[in-house]
Amino acid sequence: MDLEANSKAEALTDQVSTEKALDQALTNKVLPEAGTDAHTDIPTTGLTESENPVTARAANGRSPKALLKSVFREERFFLILSVFIGIYSGLAVVCFRFAIAWCRLYLLGSGAVLSPTRLLLAPSLAGLAIAVLVIHVFPQARGSGVNQTKAALYIYNGYIPFRTAVGKFITAALAIGSGHSLGPEDPSLQIGACLASVLGRQMRLSRDRMRLIAPVGAAAGLAAAFNAPISAVLFVIEEVIGRWTAGILGSVVLSAVSSVVVMRWFLGSESLFRIPAVQLERPSELIAYSILGVVGGLASVLFSMGIANLRPRAKALPQWTQYFQPALAGLLIGVIAVMGAPQVMGAGYEAMDEAMHGRFTWQFLAVLAGLKIIATLLSFVSGTPGGMFAPTLFIGAMLGAAVGGAEHVILPHLTGSPGTYALVGMGVLFAGFLRAPMTSVFMVLEVSGNYSIILPVIVANTIAYVISRGLQPIAIFDTLTRQDGLDLPSMEEQREEGILRVEDAMHAVDGPVLNAQETVDQALAELEKSTAEEFLVRLSPSGWNSVTRQQLKTMAAEGKGGSALAALLPIRQIPPLHPDLSLETALRYVDKWPLVPVVSRADFRQLEGVISERDVLERYREFGEG
Amino acid sequence: MLQSESQDEKTGSAKSVVARRLDLRQYVRQQPVMLALLAGVGVIFFLAVAGLSRAYHSQRDALGTRWFSRGMADLSAQHYESAVTEFRAALLYSRDSYAYQLNLAEALIGLQRTTEAYSYLVNLWERQPEDGVVNLELARIAAQRGQTSQALRYYHNAIYAVWPSDEEGRRRDTRLELIEYLLSINATKQAQAELIALEENLGDDPSLQQHAGDLFLRAQDYEHALGAYRVSLKSHPRNQKAMAGAGFAAFQLGRYPLAEHYLQEAAAADSSDTRSASLLKTTDLVLRMDPFRRQVSAVERSEIVREAFDAAGQRLTACGSAKLPVPADASQPSLADRWQKMKPQISEGALRRNPDLIENAMDLVFAIERQTSATCGPPTGADLALLLIAKLHEGNQSGLGSEF
Repeated sequence: MDLEANSKAEALTDQVSTEKALDQALTNKVLPEAGTDAHTDIPTTGLTESENPVTARAANGRSPKALLKSVFREERFFLILSVFIGIYSGLAVVCFRFAIAWCRLYLLGSGAVLSPTRLLLAPSLAGLAIAVLVIHVFPQARGSGVNQTKAALYIYNGYIPFRTAVGKFITAALAIGSGHSLGPEDPSLQIGACLASVLGRQMRLSRDRMRLIAPVGAAAGLAAAFNAPISAVLFVIEEVIGRWTAGILGSVVLSAVSSVVVMRWFLGSESLFRIPAVQLERPSELIAYSILGVVGGLASVLFSMGIANLRPRAKALPQWTQYFQPALAGLLIGVIAVMGAPQVMGAGYEAMDEAMHGRFTWQFLAVLAGLKIIATLLSFVSGTPGGMFAPTLFIGAMLGAAVGGAEHVILPHLTGSPGTYALVGMGVLFAGFLRAPMTSVFMVLEVSGNYSIILPVIVANTIAYVISRGLQPIAIFDTLTRQDGLDLPSMEEQREEGILRVEDAMHAVDGPVLNAQETVDQALAELEKSTAEEFLVRLSPSGWNSVTRQQLKTMAAEGKGGSALAALLPIRQIPPLHPDLSLETALRYVDKWPLVPVVSRADFRQLEGVISERDVLERYREFGEG
Repeated sequence: MLQSESQDEKTGSAKSVVARRLDLRQYVRQQPVMLALLAGVGVIFFLAVAGLSRAYHSQRDALGTRWFSRGMADLSAQHYESAVTEFRAALLYSRDSYAYQLNLAEALIGLQRTTEAYSYLVNLWERQPEDGVVNLELARIAAQRGQTSQALRYYHNAIYAVWPSDEEGRRRDTRLELIEYLLSINATKQAQAELIALEENLGDDPSLQQHAGDLFLRAQDYEHALGAYRVSLKSHPRNQKAMAGAGFAAFQLGRYPLAEHYLQEAAAADSSDTRSASLLKTTDLVLRMDPFRRQVSAVERSEIVREAFDAAGQRLTACGSAKLPVPADASQPSLADRWQKMKPQISEGALRRNPDLIENAMDLVFAIERQTSATCGPPTGADLALLLIAKLHEGNQSGLGSEF
């Protein structure tokens, strides 16, 4: 199935690539590529066409056809398409939310207190139906959706079958609406990515663009689900793409913003939670939030270890049990609800809101956090489609409010309200469990619309992240991909991977540095004491060149001993490097020049060292050997 | 060579034509058309979602309204537990509804779950800081929690806030509640200030004026209290409570003839009003035992002074000389010595002949009453009357009857 999809995608993108190459060649004649102009060497990056003198000049003499063509250049077209992706994803997510609400209404009832019969039957029967759908109709709909989107980016060239979105929509709505302990955010992310993939295919985008289109849709889906465009953009950058690139950032932002606009059009612009402004009266209160960070970090580890250990076991059970696993999970969740904790059912946003308003005692909040971990483990491990974002937030909110409540009992003078602690707790679990520290901070700010909470959030999230990272080195998303037999890049490992720089490979100058004003004879005399073969020449007023001992001897033999080096050396200068540049940058130059100067950024004439191809390769070899 | 060049040119030209066609197809025909198509489908999708949205929201509104009405019915019947559940159900369908949250908070207050109610109210306050109901509820919770400054802030907000109906009435009631709160925390000066502000808006309503009079009394502002009772009595001259209040206020102000008038009326109107009766008795004694009042004959004055002197002597004896403090200056005689020394001089004739003796005797009487009152507890009967007379003639008119 996957191979088929892959080959389809490749065939499609190859065709598009050929056309694109042709187009590129034509385009270059009329309009120079962004980056450099081949004729004038004027840098054009960052300038719009009208600002750029070269392109503006070209555009003035263009036919309407050429003008239209320039408007629809792929990178611009991609931006326009991103807006459409955002709109479509926003609309899809709105429908998804309606579907969940209707499922909840018709399966569980309309009141705040639900009947025990429904609590037991709805998730169980829905679980059976979901199992049949997932096994026979929508096998790609399993799981949360984040890893599937990453797989589309790194393995399938952006290809996600449309059926996945349909399957995810139906099964996740049914699961969440019937009370399974899962959330709508990750499915929304996958629905968005899938819609983007479909649109990209229809628009015959190039392979490069197709690869990037899934994250663009993912950002749109997530932004609409959370009503939080910044968090969605950050999450996609932090967890799906893994790097900041100007090429994709604009599209991700545009799609996220447009999807949020659509979502707000239909569902309103209120933030997900509302708490009063936080007054941190004493800096020492941050200690209270630090304790929450520690507790949250440990809970994150417990939660992710539970998933990591139970999921393979559930998958290893006989095939026929797959039909009953979601139903059994649903039944057990129903039992938890009947026993007095119906709050654990579904995404649980209402319960989070109530916790923030101080409805529960801190003991009950702690119990709810524990039960939610169990309920989510049951739902997720059973293969029921649905997301982990909302349960993570739920556990964090309950844990936060519980810790806050307990701290208030011991230290009544603390000023934080239950809502404050619950919100910080959300961020803590997000940072600890999902391992997205930056997203976790902005997510809390966006879902609460409250900036005053930022300090406690940063402190607690950092602590939770560090604890979770220390106790559980592999992040949950990476664990899941490895369990599924995929080898997707770990964003966390990428973030923490050391970067080799020029300073790591350069060495001190081991011979004299010649001056361009010196004559060949003077230079040869100067080199007598040195055994090196390659020498750098400092040009005047600035710049660098190099010369070999052999070249100098040849010049002297040709009778040019009295001529200055400046007059004899080729005009082409060696581009100097700086110690902080990445070693990859050095690689571009070291094969052209045997010796490349490494100079200070403050003074280009001040030599910090030199680097050669051998130095670079040697350093990479050492790095590879660890 | 030339032929090959020409062939290259032709091939190049053909390629260029193909490229142009491809280009045209891809960029002019495909992408713009596809975008237009995308926009068209988007519009249809949008309209479809709008239809769904209308159905979704109307259903939710209906459900919300249904649960809200049930909640309101239970709230007015004071079935707070059910009301809370129903308002929570209503909030499931309209999470941001101001009315649902406010009534949920009211129901929670009814259940004494003030922490929960408080967080809802604070959120509502952030949305509409000018809402009178929210400010008042927040003030009550803050008052209950002993957060005085917050309580005062919310009370004042509520007084100047917007109210859904009967704005004047709600503001007045809020101020009355604020005054009650201030009196409960012994902030009498602030309570007096609030009462003066309140009085300006009370009009001639007798019951409100009487209530204001009661509050003025509790705030120890007897002048304003008397004024409020008088206004009340203008409309309802037979209002016993107002008469008793006016009598008490007049008594505290040292206006004993006026106090006597009101207290007589009050005691006559309600024989169970023992406080008025007791005050009336003291008032009569004050009026009778004051030697400095006008229209008293010399004989009568001498008799009053002699009686007062004897009463002071008895009080001194009852109190016990040992208990009284020794004068700071050891050469100064004690009160008992002074009384003993003056005793032979106190006769009707001497008092009639020597007005200075009256002054000196009464000074000693007042000194004894003050001292014994401080040392041996509050006086009663004639001693109390003498003490009040002492205070009256010292010009200390505020709180004359603090013993009451």
